[in-house]
Amino acid sequence: MTRVKICGLMEEQHVKAASQADAIGFVFAPSKRRVSIERAQELSRLANNDMQRIGVFVNASYEEIENAVKTVPLTMVQLHGDEPDELIQRIEVPVIQAFSIRTPDDVEKLNNSIADYILVDAPGTDYRGGSGQVFDWSLLENANLDHSRLILAGGLNRDNVQAAISQTAPFMVDVSSGVETDGRKDEAKIQQFILQAKGDSMERTKEKTIDPVGFFGRYGGQFVPETLMKAVKELEAAYEDAKNDAEFQKEYHHYLSEYVGREQPLTFAARMTEAWGGPKIYLKREDLNHTGAHKVNNAIGQALLAQRMGKRKIVAETGAGQHGVATATICALFDLDCVVFMGEEDIKRQQLNVFRMKLLGARVESVSKGSGTLKDAVNEALRYWVTNVEDTHYLIGSALGPHPFPTMVRDFQSVIGKETKRQILDKEGRLPDAIVACVGGGSNAIGMFHPFVSDEKVRLIGAEAAGEGVDTERHAATLTKGSEGVLHGAMMKILQDDAGQVQEAHSISAGLDYPGIGPEHAHLADSGRVTYQAITDDEALASVIEMSRLEGIIPALESAHAVAEAKKQAQSMTADELLVICVSGRGDKDMATYAEKMEGLS
Amino acid sequence: MKQLAELKQAGHKAFVAYIMAGDGGIKKLGEQIQHLQERGVTAIEVGIPFSDPVADGPTIEAAGNRALAEGITLEKVLDEMQRFDFEVKVPLIIMTYLNPVIRFGAERFTQEAKKAGASGVIIPDLPFEHRQLIEPFAKQQELVLIQLVTLTTIDSRLEEILKQAEGFVYAVTVTGITGSRDELAEEVGAFTRKVRELSPVPVYAGFGISKESHVEMLRDDVDGFIVGSAIVQAFHEGRIEDVEPLIDAVTAPHSV
Repeated sequence: MTRVKICGLMEEQHVKAASQADAIGFVFAPSKRRVSIERAQELSRLANNDMQRIGVFVNASYEEIENAVKTVPLTMVQLHGDEPDELIQRIEVPVIQAFSIRTPDDVEKLNNSIADYILVDAPGTDYRGGSGQVFDWSLLENANLDHSRLILAGGLNRDNVQAAISQTAPFMVDVSSGVETDGRKDEAKIQQFILQAKGDSMERTKEKTIDPVGFFGRYGGQFVPETLMKAVKELEAAYEDAKNDAEFQKEYHHYLSEYVGREQPLTFAARMTEAWGGPKIYLKREDLNHTGAHKVNNAIGQALLAQRMGKRKIVAETGAGQHGVATATICALFDLDCVVFMGEEDIKRQQLNVFRMKLLGARVESVSKGSGTLKDAVNEALRYWVTNVEDTHYLIGSALGPHPFPTMVRDFQSVIGKETKRQILDKEGRLPDAIVACVGGGSNAIGMFHPFVSDEKVRLIGAEAAGEGVDTERHAATLTKGSEGVLHGAMMKILQDDAGQVQEAHSISAGLDYPGIGPEHAHLADSGRVTYQAITDDEALASVIEMSRLEGIIPALESAHAVAEAKKQAQSMTADELLVICVSGRGDKDMATYAEKMEGLS
Repeated sequence: MKQLAELKQAGHKAFVAYIMAGDGGIKKLGEQIQHLQERGVTAIEVGIPFSDPVADGPTIEAAGNRALAEGITLEKVLDEMQRFDFEVKVPLIIMTYLNPVIRFGAERFTQEAKKAGASGVIIPDLPFEHRQLIEPFAKQQELVLIQLVTLTTIDSRLEEILKQAEGFVYAVTVTGITGSRDELAEEVGAFTRKVRELSPVPVYAGFGISKESHVEMLRDDVDGFIVGSAIVQAFHEGRIEDVEPLIDAVTAPHSV
């Protein structure tokens, strides 16, 4: 995206009006816009920290420039005179060298500049430093130029800046007289110019907002109340530090092997392979983890991180109860105080897990608001965190929430995909043709997919919950039916109505009935790298029976969605292909549902 | 919003009332605004109901759910405001979570809010870092985007936020969600003093303000008070007159 510099600022209100720009310029050379170093210093204080402050000079001495750089302080220097290369080299901050463009020959000379950036302008009139006149932009079009160091100036205004950008593709546009009325800067014109330069649609603005850190394409971010910003930023820093600390990684892997029981097998499913008559089927056995699902991989990582941050109180949300159980387990192991929010409806469906959490010493808080499911449990956990933020870590169980949670949860779950990759290479000598995993918020799927994302030949398929059908009102098919929105701290895809109210999701599986999908999945769906298919309650239940009887493995309801989708995928695959299913958890917790739904099973 | 700066200069304290738009039906909105401005409040925050109001406590959440049950949307509220047949004498500030705005369209939202007579916008889940999603459009319409600062806002960030502040600064006086409290923490006074020293615009205390004792405690350290849950509940229960002493405690001339 093209950056914007507003040049020749002299008054406070104009600096403020330029707050959406990327750079502001102070003219120290003779000009009607000349300011003193002291004045530039005062004005500079009003600008955002991340704003470039550029000083404009014409044939000034090194001492003069250096004094301004230190005093204001300036982050860049722009030279409009006949400054020698020796001077440019001595200046410590990046240098912009300005050139007047009349002819193609002038363009040729640009590449000789040793400055970091080259500014192109029309020839000046009274003073050196630009005339406000437009030069022939087409001179730049066919020239052999590095556009990433090109700054375009000269006669730009709100009406022509978009055309100028599309014709010359500069790194930055520079405007001064184009945002003035009667020789004085005009706040409205400044803002209109910036909007035009950056595109006045929401789309373009979003790109500007999107910092590569914490975003996956357009999704992610830190959309939380101000009270939580400190905790979120601290977590971001602490995780960054821990991630690169070999000791931390060693400790994490120690618990994965000694406590969780990793690594888990990649089981060849001979009878499913035979029954489906397509590819060789392999099962990644997250069901064999201590506590019965993949959730514990992340709970250990975050609990270690919380302790590293000096926090000994943990709050978590849970849907099916698997994340709640994993968190309660780890809190028992590390002697941490644990409170788990769980929807009233889920408590009914998952009584066994509720009791397990209590047995492990956790406090389970019933949430009766809304639909009484996972979404509402996250709301309450967030409120609890807002209130207890100074000593409590929010141990989010899925790949969602404000940055760094989606990245951190993914990293802790990536052990699934990394092991799978190693194992399939050992067994088959090549990567699989397709991998299927279920998605609610998306943690087991992102952990499985992430190590394969750059292996373009491996097809990745997410199975989301269609509930009673995607054409009914009772489903959780966020990627099939959802749209972009902000929920629980991140821009992601959500189920919502026309007014932006988040809708209730439905799935027979308490772990999948969440009306959002984590930001990385939303991005992978947009980019087409992962395809997402919806599986109904009935299809999932049928797969529970099929897998139980063919392989002697009773899957969790969530995982059964992946099994059902895998069966569909298998129809169009051949015997020499390989298909991996992530069995994210075992079915013990769902036994009451199975007994009820499969009454009369024989 | 100029009125707010003038009020501060004159040495008076502001009373900002929060109401949940459409709680009790959309027609209540105009009635409530008229009632509050007659009663001498300084400005009014018009709350937009949202399905997942994570910054709000039970009182405002319940009011939001009642409004949602009435079918209230951001669009309906803005339409209703454009139809007011009485003179709005105080600044109106739209307080909404981000998602309804994104769904409505940020640019369209600011245009309609302007037409609806709003002077500003508060979006509690839009942090300073992501303000570009809304701010450029707000500026075009001369709406101020009110910033919140809290007890957990670190000093460097506080300075950065305050440097950009317009209209007024919303100083959150509890580490927690909205809702009435018996007591405010001791450190709140020091916090609001710090904010006030750095802020170029008036500083109003909000979250948990429900009693005259809170007003007494912070009177010298802020430029005004924002009262939400207490007003929302009083309107709901048809006893708004119970809040009047609190309004008077803030706005009445005060001998020092």
